[in-house]
This record gives sequence, C-alpha cells and structure tokens, in this order.
Amino acid sequence: MQRADQRGRYGRLAGTLLVAAALLLVGAEVRGQSAGTPQVIAPSTGTAPGAPPRSVLPPRAAQSAPPNAAPVADGPREAVEADVSTRSVAVTSSFTGTEIVVFGSIVNAARPDATQTVYDIVVVVEGTSQALVARRKSRVAGIWINTQSLTFESVPSYYAIASTRPLDEIADAIVLRDNDIGFERVRMTPIRGWETGITTSDLQQFRQAAIRLKQKDGLYTQSEFGVTFVGTHLFRATIDLPANVPVGPLKTRIYLFREGQVVGTFNTEVTMAREGLERHLHTFAFEYPLFYGIFTVLTAVLAGLVASTLFKRARH
Amino acid sequence: MHFYLPIAEMSANMLVFLGMGAAVGFLSGLFGVGGGFLMTPLLIFSGIPAAVAVGTEAAQIVASSVSGAIAQWRRKNVDLAMGTVLLVGGVIGSFFGVEVVRILRQAGQFEFAVSLSYVTFLGIIGALMLVESLSAMRQAKAVPGGAPVRRRARHNWVHGLPLKMRFRRSKLYISAIPPLGIGFLVGVLAAIMGVGGGFIMVPAMIYLLKMPTNVVVGTSLFQIVFVTAATTILHAQQNQTVDIVLALLLMVGGVVGAQFGAVAGERLKGEQLRFLLAGLVLLVALRIAWGLVGTPSELYSIGRGVGGH
Repeated sequence: MQRADQRGRYGRLAGTLLVAAALLLVGAEVRGQSAGTPQVIAPSTGTAPGAPPRSVLPPRAAQSAPPNAAPVADGPREAVEADVSTRSVAVTSSFTGTEIVVFGSIVNAARPDATQTVYDIVVVVEGTSQALVARRKSRVAGIWINTQSLTFESVPSYYAIASTRPLDEIADAIVLRDNDIGFERVRMTPIRGWETGITTSDLQQFRQAAIRLKQKDGLYTQSEFGVTFVGTHLFRATIDLPANVPVGPLKTRIYLFREGQVVGTFNTEVTMAREGLERHLHTFAFEYPLFYGIFTVLTAVLAGLVASTLFKRARH
Repeated sequence: MHFYLPIAEMSANMLVFLGMGAAVGFLSGLFGVGGGFLMTPLLIFSGIPAAVAVGTEAAQIVASSVSGAIAQWRRKNVDLAMGTVLLVGGVIGSFFGVEVVRILRQAGQFEFAVSLSYVTFLGIIGALMLVESLSAMRQAKAVPGGAPVRRRARHNWVHGLPLKMRFRRSKLYISAIPPLGIGFLVGVLAAIMGVGGGFIMVPAMIYLLKMPTNVVVGTSLFQIVFVTAATTILHAQQNQTVDIVLALLLMVGGVVGAQFGAVAGERLKGEQLRFLLAGLVLLVALRIAWGLVGTPSELYSIGRGVGGH
C-alpha cells in the first residue's frame, strides 16, 4: 500500500485483492505483521531534552541520580517531563488490547529531600473523537422500543484518568474543571437542534448514561491510585487499552499538581493504527466495498465447494 | 486463539465462533435447514452488532448452500424458469431490504426490527410445524396402515392471476406474480433477518404454487444461493457490515457440523425431526420475544453517530 502513489487506484485495488486473497488462502492463522514500517511517530508536543529513552521503563537505578534535581528552594520553576512506553500501538489481527506505560519525572522539584510527597500527578489519555448517539427505550404497547435519542457531535471514544490520589483530594472541582480533568468535563456537545423534544434534564441524563455505558465497555476508566512514584521524582502509570478501543490517535496529558494547583503540564501523543492483514481487510471493505462484497461471495462459494469435495472424498 | 474482527471491530475467541458454526451446522444438517434463523440470533446474543450479524450470516449461507444447490442441479431437480422468476423477485427484495436496514440503523430501530421479524416469522412457522408434526405423529400411531390422504384442491386463487408462464420442470402453467412475490419476500427477509428464507419458500412452493416436491428443494436452494450472494454484496456495498473473518470462522465450523448432523438425522423419523425443529424454532422465538417485553436492566444504549467525521 505504501507504493500505491505511482500505481493509481486500480493498481492499488489489485494489490489489495491479491494480498487479501493470498493471506486468506494461507489461512486465518496468518498474523500479518509483515506490513513492515511502523507508523510515523507524531512528534510530542512538549519537547523534553532530558526525557528518558522510549520503549524503556524508568529504571530503578535512576532513582539514585535524578537528572535535573536542583536542591535549591528558590531555583527555577518545577516542571514535568514524561513519555509513553509505546509511541505507536498496532492493531493487528491478533490484537487483544494492550497497555501503555506513561512515565516521567518532576524536574526542579522544590523539596527533593522531603519524605512526604508534595506533588501529585494526573495522567489523562483521550482517544479520537467520534460522533455518538445515545438512545433511550420506553415501553410502547408492552414492547420496549428506542423512543428518544440524542446525538453528540464529538465525544472522546476513549478516556482514561490515572492519578496519585483520588482527584477530589488533589485539587478542588474548579481547578479540575479548568483543566478538563474528569468524566464530568468530557466534552460532549449535542448536535444543533437537539432541543426538539428534549429537556435540559434529559440532556444531563443522556450524558450520564453515555459515560456510564462507556465505563461499562471499559472505554472510560479512572484509576485513583494509578500513578505511583518511584522515589521522589520519577512516576509511572499503566493505562489499559482494551481490545474494543476505537482506532485513532491517543492524546496524553500529564498534569503536575502542587498544593491543589497545576504547576506544570506535558502533552504527548500515541498513534494507533491498523496494520498487516487487519489493515488490508479494513481498507478493502471500506474503500472498495463492492469488490469486497464480491470477493466475500467468491470466498464463500470456494469454501462451500472445497468442503463438499473433501467430505465426499472422506466418505468414499 | 483470539482474532480481531475487522468489521465487527472486536477481538473474538476463534474457538467460540468455530464452535457456534459447528453447533448450528450440526442442527442444520440434522433438520435439513439452512440454519440462518439460529445463527443470526446467536451472533447477536454473543455481542456481534445486529447489522454485522445479518450481513455476515448472508455470506455464510452462500457457503453452506452452494454445494447442495450444485448437487440438486446435477440431479436435474432445479426448475430453472421457476428459479429465475423467484430470483428476480429475490434480488429486488434484497435491494429493498438492504435499503430498509440502512434506514432503520440510522433511526436506531434496527435491533428492534430484527427482533420483531424473528418473533413474528419464527412464531408462526414454529406453531404451524408443531401442530403439523403432532397430528402426523398421532395419525401414524392411530392408523398404522396410513392415514387417508386428503386430495389437494386442483385450483386456487393463484390460477386466476394474469401474466401466466409455463414452468416445464414443475409441470405448471401459472401466473408469474405469486413466485415473484414469494421471491421478493424471501429477498427482504434475507436482507433484514440474515436468513436464506427456505422456511418460507418451501411451504409456499408446496402449498401455494403446488410445485411437485422433487423440484422444491433444488429450486429453493438455487434461489437461496443467488439471493444471499446478492444480499452479501449489497450489505458490503451499502452498510459495510460483512465481516469476512467472522464469516470464514462460521463457514468452517458450519460445514463440519453439518456433516455430522446429516448422519445423525438419518436415524430419526421425519415427523419426529419436524417436532424437534418446531420446538427449537419456538424456543428461539420466545427468547427473542422476552427481550422485547421484559423490562431491560439498562434503558439507554450508545452507538456510533452518523456524520461525525
């Protein structure tokens, strides 16, 4: 698919067809990870010169020598630097969900020698936004039917919060709200014209139901002690990505709190893309739906004929 | 043994769906039915989105009926003229049905429509079959020499319609409208319910069109292969709801299960089989009906909105 530019539309189609056919014939066991080149890593929005190397968990040994620890009380302002263990998540045919580790350190910490943590870290991972429709059933003539619905223009398909302590202990509601932290702050704008037949309290109920159902699907998660400090400066948080995470980039925001105020933030992005056989099938199905349909039928005919021949032979 | 399904967008245990295919394949081999009416509800119960279940099941029916259709064709049990008329009606019905699916999905009523059509059709067919098989069993017991066979009326309202055609293999000279209508209904059902439609078509051919029984099965299989093939392509094109990986898993499980089912079926009597099948059909209908009338634990549901990006 990468060389498709020169070949044009039908060349690409033929390529996809051939690859899909070949892979399907080899059998369902093929875990096409051969599509080679990993996704281009999006540059993180915050550039951290001293950031730990990627794909490496914060080594325990690093505890003894924090890189930028400035034990001066009135030194430069503290900040947070972080990275993610995996910059790109590949959704292949064997994808069953994964986890990413967000790790980093506090630089220029005010009291590096303190035994008690004065800092709090909140990690927010937000998936790609999608339109979402929430529906409500009610009983009509004894049967439960969807009678009301509300469409939200764009809702994060995935939203995970991890923090060193429960959020309400870290900061008060206003600070959290100003920084878009928490399920209540998930941006959910109803489409224009939603007011017809729906009251403001209905809107609230639809919102809450959508968040509740997302939580039930494991797509909205909150882990109140999900961020742990390793020593005084280093922290790490493990974020679960279940298998049903909609494919798209994941925005990661890391907040550094001190005494209930945000004193530093750091943003980075994790790309997530289909790869291998999974990617070919998806492209085929959505970009050439007619040919995909014909191909599926031909596969079905072939499967039926092969099966009957095999069983006929086995009987004789 | 997990596999990420590209269209259903979920990670599925391959063994579960292979096993499901085998179980339904066994039953369809045992009873000599397509099995779509069992598979689609099972897929929906197991968490596959209803529209994907319907579209994918159409592809599986192609695989499970193609070899049967070819075998019947070789034995000259297909009335090509009748099959073609049924097919024309079927493809029109499939077009119509796929469009109905698209509209219902947008309105958020597709799951409801699927459930309602299942309850209606399975309820009626199951009840009729139950009554018929019970009376057959009672007659077989009461009069061992065979019950008096009731003569069929030679003419019914079907013979009064215009557009008459000659169907040589069936030895019929009837209007093309009833087979067109039957084909159309079967096409709509294939698109909305993910079934082959044999359970409607076979009784309609015997009782309404009065076709000779030796061409009924072959002709209906002929129609089913082409109509489900058309339905698969239309669903893939219009709704992007055909999951080829899921279809393959079901096909593999299905063909294996069907072989064992066919062997097991040879040991049971026809009316006993029909009685068991009627019971199964009614159970599926009741289970789906319960989903419609029972108070759900969650009144809300969420789905992908339309036109978001």
